[in-house]
Amino acid sequence: MNDSRRAGLKPLRSLLPVLVILALIAAVPLFSPSNRFLSLAISAGINVIALYGLSVLFGQTGILSMGHAALVGIGAYAAAILARDFGVGFWLALPAAAIASAVFAMIVGIPSLRVGGHHFVIMTFAFGQLLAIVLTNGGDYTGAATGLDVTDHVTLFGADMTDLTRYYLMVVAFVTVAAVASWAIIHSSYGRTLRAIRENEKLAASLGINVGRHKIGAFVVSGVFAGISGVLLAYFLGHISPSQFSSFPSIYLALMVMIGGARLIEGPLAGGILVAFLPEVLNLDPVQSRIVYGVCLIAVIMLLPDGLIGGIVRALRGLFSGKPKSERDAAEARQ
Amino acid sequence: MSPILAISGLSKQFGGVTALAGVDLTIEEGEILGVVGPNGSGKTTLFNVVTGVHKPSGGTVLFRRRDITGLAPHAISRTGIGYTFQQAMAFAGLGVLENVQIASEHARATGGANPWPTPQALLDFVGLSALAGEKAGVLPFGSLRLLGLALALATRPSLLLLDEPAAGLNDRETTALVGLVRQLPGHGITVCVIDHDMKLMQMLCRRLAVLDFGSKIADGPTEAVLADPKVLDVYLGGEL
Repeated sequence: MNDSRRAGLKPLRSLLPVLVILALIAAVPLFSPSNRFLSLAISAGINVIALYGLSVLFGQTGILSMGHAALVGIGAYAAAILARDFGVGFWLALPAAAIASAVFAMIVGIPSLRVGGHHFVIMTFAFGQLLAIVLTNGGDYTGAATGLDVTDHVTLFGADMTDLTRYYLMVVAFVTVAAVASWAIIHSSYGRTLRAIRENEKLAASLGINVGRHKIGAFVVSGVFAGISGVLLAYFLGHISPSQFSSFPSIYLALMVMIGGARLIEGPLAGGILVAFLPEVLNLDPVQSRIVYGVCLIAVIMLLPDGLIGGIVRALRGLFSGKPKSERDAAEARQ
Repeated sequence: MSPILAISGLSKQFGGVTALAGVDLTIEEGEILGVVGPNGSGKTTLFNVVTGVHKPSGGTVLFRRRDITGLAPHAISRTGIGYTFQQAMAFAGLGVLENVQIASEHARATGGANPWPTPQALLDFVGLSALAGEKAGVLPFGSLRLLGLALALATRPSLLLLDEPAAGLNDRETTALVGLVRQLPGHGITVCVIDHDMKLMQMLCRRLAVLDFGSKIADGPTEAVLADPKVLDVYLGGEL
């Protein structure tokens, strides 16, 4: 009895640290940070929203997408074109762009039914590149290589949100919603179904799970996150162009989710913040920072397969459980 | 009474290789049927074709008079046929209880009483309650087999197909498994065991079907089949 009650509370306990961290992040404007800091933080936050979607796909379902920035791009371009051609504002663009990205995510996901592993990763990479090419050659409709302007302001209850601090707080609110949504997925029967597919597709199917449908579904879910992230990005930057959504930004997203750790709810948050602020903190130029990212990625893959957060959690567990290290390693190895 | 599963003329070719050459086999409601045969006789192919892993080259499979030939694996499972694999027994990276929970959440709705209404009850049945909090990947092999059985049972099957359920188990673990499987018909679950282990089959099954080179060469009461010269021949002079 006691056990089951504790099991019911356990999921909530895992949400709490993230909410506390996000509350602290929301308090940052009280310390009057520089505009540069706020801009970086907003970009990081917008990435984190997409990362939460990517973590459903990669962390829970086990499918790695190297074309995720393209889905963010679909959302951003959808917002820009809706504003330009139909006068649709930010709040209506959100659901519309989420749907557009979800539809494209579904299309990207369809080959995953036949192609698996590395081959599929390469296909997602090609999709990202393809989208950039299409946008570049889209003439006036997509603004070609120059891209599109988004001049509309975001207003909330009559208040203009264009001010950096206000936009920052709004992005933090969106990140919170994304984190809670991701947490809800992880702890639902839907999340368990996705994990079953990640662990063993054949066994999952033997239990009556429609593996193909759920894989596509995971793409659609991650597409919704990506679309919303794209709208926030378009309205934040005021200008979008194809190169922002090509393969390299996609690789950065994959890198962030791997560095942070895709399976735990703190992972995307940590990965997004770390990768955004690392060059700033260490004072690196773009070339140097790419080298550092590369080294980080290799280190994480070799030393912390569950990402930074996964590694920290494991280290803490080891510290408190008191099992000798060799025994723990043996247990990990058998997994 | 009509059989729960009726396989007729089932064949499967892999390129030029005939793995199944027109097999007829019926499984009667409430029995524990054994399908035996030496390695390469087509046992696992039969299992894979019935469970939808492979599409058959010809023939039909009727489950309670419904044609399920060539359905996808998850659809076969949803009709009420549970099955366990030799290799893929459980989700190694997930907890033992979570494993069974996942299977239960995808169980089909049946009218009958559920002998194991909760994942915990299933773990009790297979004797793994004490390990509920562990990760499946750290379980010893014998326990992993039992967890695999629990997963298949959690889908609430009326027919359970077991592919070499005792492979890799020691005598004590095999006896425990036999004890569990024998209880299943009492819970309304028909069982078909596919294995080459004659000792196991003698413990479990009253009826045996023997495959050799993709064809059925014998089918009948266990004692009679084991005395059949054709079967003895297949098993090299009858060292049973």
